This record gives sequence, C-alpha cells and structure tokens, in this order.
Amino acid sequence: MNHSSQGEYSAADQMVVAGAHEIKDEDVVYVGLGLPFLSALLANYTHAPGCTIIIENGIIRTTGFPLPAATDTLGSQMMANQLTGLFYINCLGQAGYINAGFIGAGQVDRHGNVNDTVAGDYRNPSHRWPGSGGANDVMSFCKRTIVMLRQNRRRFPEKVDFVTCPGYLDGTKGRREAVGLPAGTGPALVITDLACYEFIDREMVVKSVHCAAGVTLDRVKAEVGWDIKVSAGILDTVPPTDEEIKILRERVDPQQIWVGGKRRPPDQD
Amino acid sequence: MDKVMNMQEAIARFVKPGSTLFLAGMQHGEPSAAIHEIIRQKIGHLTLVSCLVTTSNLLIGEGLINKMVTAYMQQDEKRSYSMRKARETGRYPVFEEYSHFGVSLALLAGQMGIPFIPARCQAGSDMPKYNPNLATVACPFTGETVVAVRAIVPDTGIIHVQRADAEGNAQKWGTMGVDIEGINASRTVIVTTEKIVDADVIRRDPNRTIIPCFRVSAVVEQPWGAHPMHLAGCYSGDMWGFYGETGRPEGYQSYVDNLVYGVRDWEEYLKKRAEMKPPGYFEGFKIKAVKSEPITTGYEESQHEP
Repeated sequence: MNHSSQGEYSAADQMVVAGAHEIKDEDVVYVGLGLPFLSALLANYTHAPGCTIIIENGIIRTTGFPLPAATDTLGSQMMANQLTGLFYINCLGQAGYINAGFIGAGQVDRHGNVNDTVAGDYRNPSHRWPGSGGANDVMSFCKRTIVMLRQNRRRFPEKVDFVTCPGYLDGTKGRREAVGLPAGTGPALVITDLACYEFIDREMVVKSVHCAAGVTLDRVKAEVGWDIKVSAGILDTVPPTDEEIKILRERVDPQQIWVGGKRRPPDQD
Repeated sequence: MDKVMNMQEAIARFVKPGSTLFLAGMQHGEPSAAIHEIIRQKIGHLTLVSCLVTTSNLLIGEGLINKMVTAYMQQDEKRSYSMRKARETGRYPVFEEYSHFGVSLALLAGQMGIPFIPARCQAGSDMPKYNPNLATVACPFTGETVVAVRAIVPDTGIIHVQRADAEGNAQKWGTMGVDIEGINASRTVIVTTEKIVDADVIRRDPNRTIIPCFRVSAVVEQPWGAHPMHLAGCYSGDMWGFYGETGRPEGYQSYVDNLVYGVRDWEEYLKKRAEMKPPGYFEGFKIKAVKSEPITTGYEESQHEP
C-alpha cells in the first residue's frame, strides 16, 4: 500500500489506472477478465464515457455495468447495446474494427510474445497455464494490445517457451505480417505492478516506473530476465488521482472483487 | 413430430461412447443437467468440444473424456482437483488447443459443410505445431499466408435454452458464445429447455429461433437445467461456488457422490442441492425481470389492387 495525497492505493490500483489512461473516448476496446475490466470501467466512468467495451462471450456496450467475477454474467449482459456470440465479436476484430485490446498473461518476453500455455516442454511441462482462451485473438487482431500482469523474473523471460499470443516474434521487421497476422497490429504496452513498458523497434523497453508507489528502476530491471533497455524519455508513471481511486473503490469495484484480491484471474496466477 | 422425452432417455439414445460431443453454453446457460446424466450413465471415451463450460470439469474428473478440444481450461493440477483425479486414475485427456475464435471457426466450417476455413488468428503462435487440425496455407488469390482451421462436425450437440416447442424449435437469448455454430454443426442435437412452450409462442418471434425442429432429435424440459450457471431472464448463477466446492478433493468427492451418483435425476439434484446449502439458496438466484418491448409481426389485412 502507498499513500497518495489523501488515501492509500495498491500496485493493482496503479495497474488499473495506468490501463485506463490508455483508453480514449472514441476507442473500441476488447477486454479480457480481471484487471482489464476495471481499467475499461474506470475509463468509461471518467475520461472516456464514449468508449465501447467488447467482451468475447458476445457483449458490446457503451455503458458501465456491475463488475463481473467472470467475463459473462447477467450484469455484464444487462442493457448491452448488442448481445451476440464469440464468432461475431472476433469478426469485428479480424476485419480491423477493434482498436485496443487488453489481456492478462502468464509470461511475456523481450519481443512481446505472450505465453499462456506451458513452461518447459509442451508434452511434459513444468507448469501449465489454462491456454489462450481469447487472448490469442485479441493480440492477433487489435491495433494496440495492452498486456497486464504482475512482474517477476520468471514471468519476464527473454524468450517464452511457448508462443500463445504472438508479439513481434523474433523481433524482425515485418515478421507479424509474414506469418499471416493483420498489418498494423501487435503489443503496444505492458503494464505490471512495477512499471509500464513500450515497444521500440519491436523490443520491449521501460517506459515509466511506478515511482510514486516506491518502485525504483533497479528493482524493475532486477525483475526482468534480460538486460532490458530503458526509453530515452523514461518517466514516472502517472499515479492515480484521488478522484480515480474514489471511483475505483466506490463505483467500479465496490466489493473489492479484483483489486482487493478476492479473485485473481487464473491466467495471472 | 413430438420429440419430448426425459433426460435419461435422451442421453442414452443420442450420446454414444467414443463419440465427439459439443456442449453449448460458454459461461451462459450450460447444459449442466445433461452433463450430470452423462456421468450417471458413465458414457466414456468422449471427445469434448466446448469453450468455458464450467461443469465439464466433472466429465474429466470422472474419467469420461479422451480428448478435449478447447482454448482455455485450468490444467494446473494443484488448482483443479478434477484434473488431478483424471491424472491419478490414468484418464487424463489429450488436449487439442485452439484460440477461442479458432474453436468457433472449426465449428462454423462444420456448420457450413466445408472442410476448413481460413483465419488470421493463431498465426505465428505455437498452437499449429501441436494441433494437427491447424495448418498454414497460401491464399490462392493473393498468396498471403493464412491459417487453415479444419472443420469439426460433432456427433452430438447439447444446448440448454430458455424455451423450445415440443418439436425442437429452440430459442435462446443473452450471450451466445459458440452456441450457434456449435449446435448447428452437430449431426444430432439434444435441446434441453427451461420450458416447453406452444409452437405459436415460437412462431410469433421466429427470429429468436437458433435451430429449427428438423435438426433436433430430442427435447427435454428441465427447469434450472443450467444451474450452477446463470441463464438470461431466468436465474443468476453460482460459478465460483461450484469451483470452490469441486476444486478441493473432499468437496469434489462429496459433490459427485451426493449430487450426481446419489440422485436419480435433476429434480432430486435440485432438492438435495438445496438441502446441502443454507436455507434460501435457490431463492438467491431470482432475478429482477426486465421486459423488452415486444416486436410486431403480422400480415396484410387487405390486398391492394394489383
């Protein structure tokens, strides 16, 4: 817990707020379970009331909703603009109509490749995550994909054992398009409990450090599995405002389902 | 033709050992009552095609699944007792992994009657390396690389809906997940429904029908048939309660002993489920109903002169 001018916030709060800051009013946002939901709702209740929130089960909506403990609940369905199915949602993505996507991740590597499948050998893994779900679809189709995960060295290897969601693959220019992915897509930002990362020449670099939460660049680098570069214009991550924390507590997640740690999405474990 | 029968008969007649089974209900209105009946009848060696069907964990734990065709499932045996039990009993399924859209497209190709469908998802990922039903091909027109997703035609599909008529015209609303392509791809279809309604109820709102009667083999009326999942317009759900209860060995074993093998049918399940929970358990799932404005259909009252 850290103290802002008038209250406390957690690393998870900082992640949610940093995610919300990435959503613009005109954005069409494809969100996965967990912290991405909070970011989308916070944005919708603050600076981006016009954003469209898309959920893979078949939900398209421009209004907020009670925070679901799963992607599909009666609350996330209720008073949607459109209820449809997973096929329709992903057609919107594949045809290029979704500009931002948010996913969790098991691991992410130097070139933004995400592993939600196995550590070690596929047939005899040392750890098993639940698999892609919709994450591969989000990362394949959205113009900008934002990856949110808690950070440690194990989760930031230089190269993932299994590419569930392709980032910039081996980092070569044009590699995404060559393997059949739509042009102008890919990971844009990684948000962890320590820092935010952007991609320069298809390589992950430190963009901002959560300094207001007491994190140092040394600590950030210690939790990355390669000698990570730092952006020339490195910043302090913009900390949550009092207003954002208030809305997050009172309106987005009043029962503290996610931020309070009662639930964590399985793909972030 | 009236296809109404009880769950026991529908499952015994139309779900065969060794077959490929599609279960509808991607976190919304899954056919839980039918899943319990498959376990009671111990119909095994199944290939299961499904996305986020919560109670399908029980099929795995009871060793009835040879192969899982899916995109997302808790496979960490420290977190999923059904997986651990399958491992311990030598019944751990083979996984054939897609993205969610990949599963949807495989079923859509099945529904369309074509051998495969091109896609831009799963491209560049490692999934095609381990899934023989994903391949990379060149577009015959532009030469660009696309992923070919092979069609899946399940032998039997089961869906739970809000209403259907006795012949099988079935209507579901709310989110559809992979229901429409999955159920329409399936050769044989079992519809379980909260309520069997008069055919005219269906015919006054026919846009809501997601599969027509001639594609349906069995209709089973089963109130609360999707519990512990929610169903739009009917009841909310207890998914985390189910995961919490069945995720631990003692909870899992108590669940299957009492609520699957320990009852004859879903009516007994509902009674026993209520007994095992604090008073008011099912009342807690009642929803505050919101009615939509009815649409109007109709036909000409009088003819214009030609």
